[in-house]
Amino acid sequence: MFDATDSAASGSTPGVQAPRVGVFVCHCGGNISDVVDVKRVAEEAARMPDVVFTTTHMFHCSDPGQALIEQKIREHALTRVVVAACSPTLHQITFRRAVERAGLNQYLFEHVNIREHVSWVIEDKEAATAKASRLVRAAVNRARLLVPLDKRRIPIHPAALVIGGGVAGLMAARDLGDRGMKVTLIENRPFLGGRMAQLWNVFPTNEEARPLLSNLVRDVVKHPLITILTGAHVVNSEGVVGDFKTKIKIDARGVDERLTYPGNAIAACPEETISEFDFALSRRKAIYMPYPGCFPPIPAIDWHTCTKCGKCVAAVGGKGINLDAKSRELTLHSGVIILATGYDPYEPLLGEYGYGIFPKVITLQQLHRMLDPEGPTAGALPFDSNTPVRIGFLHCVGARQIDGVNAPQPDGKVKDYCARTCCTAAMHAAVALRERFPKSHITSFYQDMRTYGRGHEEYYEQASQQGVLFVRYSPWHPPRVDKDRTGKWPVVVRTNDLLTDGLPIEVPLDLLVLATGVVPHDISELVTMYSCAVGYDSFLLEVHPKLRPVELAVSGVFLAGCCQGPMDITEACSAASAAASKAAAMISQGQVEMDPFIASVDEEVCTGCQTCLTVCPYDAIVRDEARGLAIVSEALCTGCGTCAAACPSSAIQQAGFNDRQVRAEIDVLLGV
Amino acid sequence: MTTNGATSDRQPGKLRLGVYWASSCGGCDISLLEIGEHLLELIEVADIVFWPCVADFKYRTVADYPDGYIDVCLFNGGIRSSEQEQIARLVRRKSRTLVAYGACAMDGGIPALANLESTREIFDAVYHSNPSLQNPGHVEPQTHWATPHGDLELPRLYPQVLRLADIVEVDYQMPGCPPVGTQVWKVLQAVVAGEVPARNAAVRVGCDNRSVCDECHREKRKVRIKEFKRPHLAIPEPNWCLLEQGFVCLGASTRSGCGALCPKAELTCRGCYGSAGLATDQGTAMLSALGSVMDAVTEDRANELVGQIADPTGTFYRFSLASSALKAHRKP
Amino acid sequence: MSQADLTPVPVETPTSQPWEPRIIAFLCYWCSYTGADNAGTSRLKYPANVDIIRVMCSGRIDPDLIMTAFAQGADGVMVCGCHIGDCHYIAGNHKTMTRMPLLSRVLQDFGIEPERFVHEWVSAAEGDKFAKLVRQVTEQVRQVGRLDWPGRMYRRGVGHGEDLQPWGDQA
Repeated sequence: MFDATDSAASGSTPGVQAPRVGVFVCHCGGNISDVVDVKRVAEEAARMPDVVFTTTHMFHCSDPGQALIEQKIREHALTRVVVAACSPTLHQITFRRAVERAGLNQYLFEHVNIREHVSWVIEDKEAATAKASRLVRAAVNRARLLVPLDKRRIPIHPAALVIGGGVAGLMAARDLGDRGMKVTLIENRPFLGGRMAQLWNVFPTNEEARPLLSNLVRDVVKHPLITILTGAHVVNSEGVVGDFKTKIKIDARGVDERLTYPGNAIAACPEETISEFDFALSRRKAIYMPYPGCFPPIPAIDWHTCTKCGKCVAAVGGKGINLDAKSRELTLHSGVIILATGYDPYEPLLGEYGYGIFPKVITLQQLHRMLDPEGPTAGALPFDSNTPVRIGFLHCVGARQIDGVNAPQPDGKVKDYCARTCCTAAMHAAVALRERFPKSHITSFYQDMRTYGRGHEEYYEQASQQGVLFVRYSPWHPPRVDKDRTGKWPVVVRTNDLLTDGLPIEVPLDLLVLATGVVPHDISELVTMYSCAVGYDSFLLEVHPKLRPVELAVSGVFLAGCCQGPMDITEACSAASAAASKAAAMISQGQVEMDPFIASVDEEVCTGCQTCLTVCPYDAIVRDEARGLAIVSEALCTGCGTCAAACPSSAIQQAGFNDRQVRAEIDVLLGV
Repeated sequence: MTTNGATSDRQPGKLRLGVYWASSCGGCDISLLEIGEHLLELIEVADIVFWPCVADFKYRTVADYPDGYIDVCLFNGGIRSSEQEQIARLVRRKSRTLVAYGACAMDGGIPALANLESTREIFDAVYHSNPSLQNPGHVEPQTHWATPHGDLELPRLYPQVLRLADIVEVDYQMPGCPPVGTQVWKVLQAVVAGEVPARNAAVRVGCDNRSVCDECHREKRKVRIKEFKRPHLAIPEPNWCLLEQGFVCLGASTRSGCGALCPKAELTCRGCYGSAGLATDQGTAMLSALGSVMDAVTEDRANELVGQIADPTGTFYRFSLASSALKAHRKP
Repeated sequence: MSQADLTPVPVETPTSQPWEPRIIAFLCYWCSYTGADNAGTSRLKYPANVDIIRVMCSGRIDPDLIMTAFAQGADGVMVCGCHIGDCHYIAGNHKTMTRMPLLSRVLQDFGIEPERFVHEWVSAAEGDKFAKLVRQVTEQVRQVGRLDWPGRMYRRGVGHGEDLQPWGDQA
């Protein structure tokens, strides 16, 4: 009947000593002090209650600057530290560590951004100083209410899951294995190798792709700590960093190692379908191996095509093929996850630059399959009788598109980003073609030549020296690909050449190669499962491109390779090694540290309305039915504070951002 | 439960009880009758020394009481006029214990919804534009009036409704529109027995410290609101949370104690028991909670859903506008 | 005495200085705060009227904080979070997306113009958008003028305890 919770739970804690706040205002060279009167900011902060020390310093992030903070904490027995400097994204960690070295809890530190948010954006010195002063005083008021918090530590399951068996996934798995980590590598296709296996030869070393890849595959396959699962799809994921529980479904392969003569089985199969490995340039059987030397070295059965006629079983005497094999499910525990889900080549729309209409318009990927001696044409190109042959490369197909100029994709957007790899790849192919067909005429239709990497520009130079003709087109007026009216040539490309002041040019060709862009492999289910951040271009988004380039915001999930953006093999491998080393570092810590800004329910105040249960995106709040209370599961809470805002009885507070702390800032900013 | 030994704060003999109404509808006065036959028990131990609703008391009568003469005064209604303010100050002086009784005294209540209108708009509605009005001379109430017998000073209408606690110190708050009979009787019993918590305006009596959702029988299914419905236009599914069905029910932001009367009768909780937990602004608390459970993943959908809510301000702040952060419309 | 609730001391603004809009911006740390950083690193210029309060996610921004800001004298409030789909906490900004239009309707019922309350998505890369937004919001708040909620409530002159004493001379 009577309720005394209000008086019990509100108000300040009696008997606690008044905080002793120290304020440190940084000049940042002159980055701040050229605009902001830092002395005045410090003086005004000194008039705030509980402030016992203020100073300014030329560079607080420097070693002497940090040492000064530590010294003053000890000297003045400071219990709260406010540093006004650059953005917390840069040096919050630096100062937190300094504060901790001085024996103070690192969350008793408050960072004020008076560079990015003040001195660099506000021209008027008086206004900038006044704003800096307000922000600093608000931070002081907030700091007075800070409480010590402990970083959360969660034990980590010492194993990694790598999703994707392309070159990046293989590389990441090998690196992790070499560091003594247990790794499970899952690939959703029946064979390892990914997109790299489909290439014939790679820049910048002019090596054949598959032997190179085989070395890596061999390392991974033989590695005692690495388990490989092919045909494996992620069905569901639970848990957080430290203990991800990933449920996977493994397709039935239908074939095992006892099949000693796969050739006989494949030959016996009567069912055919388009070969995705050869980009539809050939057909394959329902039981198939994409290329000689693939891994696993046994065929797989494509159940969509297989009619279970049994001819393959008969051809091998029943050994090693089971047409009634069933898929199975299992749950993998891992402390960290590396996403190496790769890319798909941009598939031109029907009729885009004649693709799908003129048989002599092919993609660069198809050209690679054709140039491959083990490929569908055994290395031959499909030329008609013209000599010398005329070959064209058209750059930026499905890349750097312009809304309103290029036709939108099914998602309504255009591919407006640069695919980065295709200029060099096209030049690399052009040089190779010139060598193979010395008398050929090669024309390259480009917007900008972006052979940006080490050893890449050389391909452009080589191509130039070898007489490749360059035609620069305007992205606002992309070239048109038509039928040749004379009937002599398979296709004609018409455009205006910006290099000759926009003169119209008409180039008849035997073969037009579309240097197509790169789109992320569709992993929308994984994106939802792991709540990955995705950029406008649909690639996965790292926390920070420079400071945390291979980490997703979801702690414990790392990025390797083209799932993050267009990369060549070199870059994908670097990214994979980086991701592996970050993942290994995390595992070898034995536990993961997380920011302590989690929500907690005041059990005295909670009224049992259950609003928070619906609100939490992580299902981190459960109801204690017996007591009728909401309970936050600390391990699942990520600290967004959404429940704290939603709670209609203010029973939920977010550590570090509780109502009183935020209001303390508002109070000062509005001069109350 | 803490007691402050209210027995010692009370004069010997029968308890002296006062009841006053300010800006309210009279429902609170009637709620005292809802204790039924207990009324007879009450009369055994208590004298009514001030209750203008049931008997004739002059201002003078109360003014002539010594200070602290009334043991407990249950004050219902908010403060809308100068007269109400005066009486509030008067009974504060004359009462040992002053209880803000009912939603209006505590949070402004329904009359405080007029805080969204200016005094001018209210006068226009009441004295000029109301279709059922017969006021050919367009007469409006005056605060001064000269008569042959002298000048009359009449109460002034304030530009907004205030809570009792905005005017005088209040010892306890008792929510409800009106407080339910069982709670009223419990509080009166405690008062008579002297078992009351320490005085504190923040302490509410006659209610529990949970939410209406907690005492509601309806099941929560943790689903987001897909469509907003109005109670007179759709029949709710029994036993399922009204809010989740899309009826704007204030149960989550409302303190328990009524026994979830409205949801039991297939009606949405209207929020008369005031804010829950530590929240002070019940309407905004509900706004935030409701705004967090809508089923929208696109902005268009979000705007569509928000557009479906009829009169959000009147609904969320139905009883608590005078307790809200903004308190009133900014117009003069 | 709880009268303080009703009659807060007006914000101390020296009358000699012309009025400048006071705007509070609540920014999520991952996108919008970093977007504001981006405006800084790009050296984009904007007026000094907007003070930033950082929270981890726009989902933390309780409408109550915004109400409080207005009640305490803010002329405008901005709320910025990650674009829909980009939330670092899966769907914290979805709550912002539904709360803020609702809050906007309620604020208008209290006579707070839509120009004073702006919610917008600003990604970490959109420094330019943030700078433009600050300029635009500052300008539109300047156009609608000073709000001064505490002062307005004070000037209404209610609850100052004038004694009519209708009961006569005693007491």
